[in-house]
Amino acid sequence: MQLNSTFKDLPLQFNYLGDHAIVISINTPISSESIQIVKKVVTLCAFIKKTHQWIKEIIPAYQTITLVYDIHSFYQLEQTDPLIFIKNSFQSMMKENFLETEAGENKVIKIPVCYDEIFGIDLASMATLKNITKEEIIESHTHEIYNVFCLGFMPGFAYMGNVNEKIQVARHLAPRPKVFAGSVGIAGVQTGIYPTNSPGGWQIIGRTPLKIFDPHPETLALFKAGDQVQFYSINRATYDQMIQS
Amino acid sequence: MADTIQDKGRTGFQHLGIQANGFMDYLSAQLANVLVNNPINYPVFELCFPASSFSFTSDHTICITGANFSPVINEKSIELNTPIEVTKNDVLQFLKPIEGSFAYLAIQGKINAPNWLASQSFNAATLQKDNVFEILPILESEIYTHSIPPAFIHSIHSNIFTPAPIRFIPGPAWNDLTEESLSQLLTQPFHTTLQTNRMGYLLKGPALGLTKPNQYLSSAVTRGTLQLLPNGSIMILMADHQTIGGYANLGQIILVDLPRIAQLKNGSSLHFSLTNVNTAHQLYQQIQKGFIH
Repeated sequence: MQLNSTFKDLPLQFNYLGDHAIVISINTPISSESIQIVKKVVTLCAFIKKTHQWIKEIIPAYQTITLVYDIHSFYQLEQTDPLIFIKNSFQSMMKENFLETEAGENKVIKIPVCYDEIFGIDLASMATLKNITKEEIIESHTHEIYNVFCLGFMPGFAYMGNVNEKIQVARHLAPRPKVFAGSVGIAGVQTGIYPTNSPGGWQIIGRTPLKIFDPHPETLALFKAGDQVQFYSINRATYDQMIQS
Repeated sequence: MADTIQDKGRTGFQHLGIQANGFMDYLSAQLANVLVNNPINYPVFELCFPASSFSFTSDHTICITGANFSPVINEKSIELNTPIEVTKNDVLQFLKPIEGSFAYLAIQGKINAPNWLASQSFNAATLQKDNVFEILPILESEIYTHSIPPAFIHSIHSNIFTPAPIRFIPGPAWNDLTEESLSQLLTQPFHTTLQTNRMGYLLKGPALGLTKPNQYLSSAVTRGTLQLLPNGSIMILMADHQTIGGYANLGQIILVDLPRIAQLKNGSSLHFSLTNVNTAHQLYQQIQKGFIH
């Protein structure tokens, strides 16, 4: 079943994803505008979820927001079907003040990174490949303000972009068996930080002393989708100091 | 040893990349729980062959469901899907895999084990030799008091261990399959491989192709997602799957058929068939109404 509709202000598509999820797709190409739309849709979904406990998850990604729901609790409470319900909820909310929906503040999260080669193990090969200096890579990586598009791969791993074309490098063909927690990597247009030690294929250019994921229920992930992030360079002494504190 | 403690899994954290985890075969696990009067989604021991042995230090009511690993207590064989009284010093062992991949052991009461974000399911925490677990009493208000008719138990078991086609609902990349691949997916047999674990089941079958490159913007996937890998094989995502994925999403297996996938042994063959959301909801509701009155 498919219920597609172009809303007055936004092209949103509502589709089932299997029998216990609904995917809301936006047709806007990836841009600061698409990020704002995803954020607004998440806000609206969260608003619906507050009073409808059968919604279990709201998972944003690049151009989609996926709702996971509980079939049994939905039909205990509602007469219609989940897709029609969500679509109707959106229609009534958007008639009102969708565009005024606050997508939330945009503060830029600053992340310290030590780009020394002991941490940035792929810097040298990247510099050769792209025919630029290591300093230029660092300069470019710290210059951009990145958007967090979504989290995935492992708890707390944030997919950020876009990396400037001049430092874009594809991931390694075979993943390394172990990448250390805090490692900052590049994979094509994306940059990200490994929250925990894990196998990984991204090109590693440095390491942050910050804890990206903390299992404590009140901390969890440092980033969430829609955040803005900028990296800044720190030396080894500062890194060591921050790791200790 | 791949034995773990599982409950229905963690909800509400997938947007942070935190996997749901939880029962692989939720129907067998739920059945085990209600047969010992536990709440339906309580933690249970999820066992793979060769499975852990258990020695009891006090009297308990237990029940084993799901895969048949020839369970014995003090070397005498016991029934599946039946509540059984054990006493102090009884030893439960599993001798031989006969049918299925995951057996569930429910013990009346609540397994006292670490809890993270409201779930005792952990994708990495496997049972270790000499682990000791305390069983806490259930709150009286939580005791499951409905009686389960034998016909319902039988229907759950036969629903899981039947070779009928695996039903799925087409996903976002369904229309990107070549015509030939689409027909192969719906008519040819596929086989489970050695690469099956709690994250996903890799299938062997005809190599499927797309009419466009297999590069999609990452988007949320679910339990039961049929991912098409770049080499043309299908990976079925299971309980410990990553929260988002960037491979072609061909469809999602419906919830009532997921236990059947979970219980397939290596090398088992399966067929796929299409269904729709209404049918899937009706089937799911039918079963859940048998549990939740």
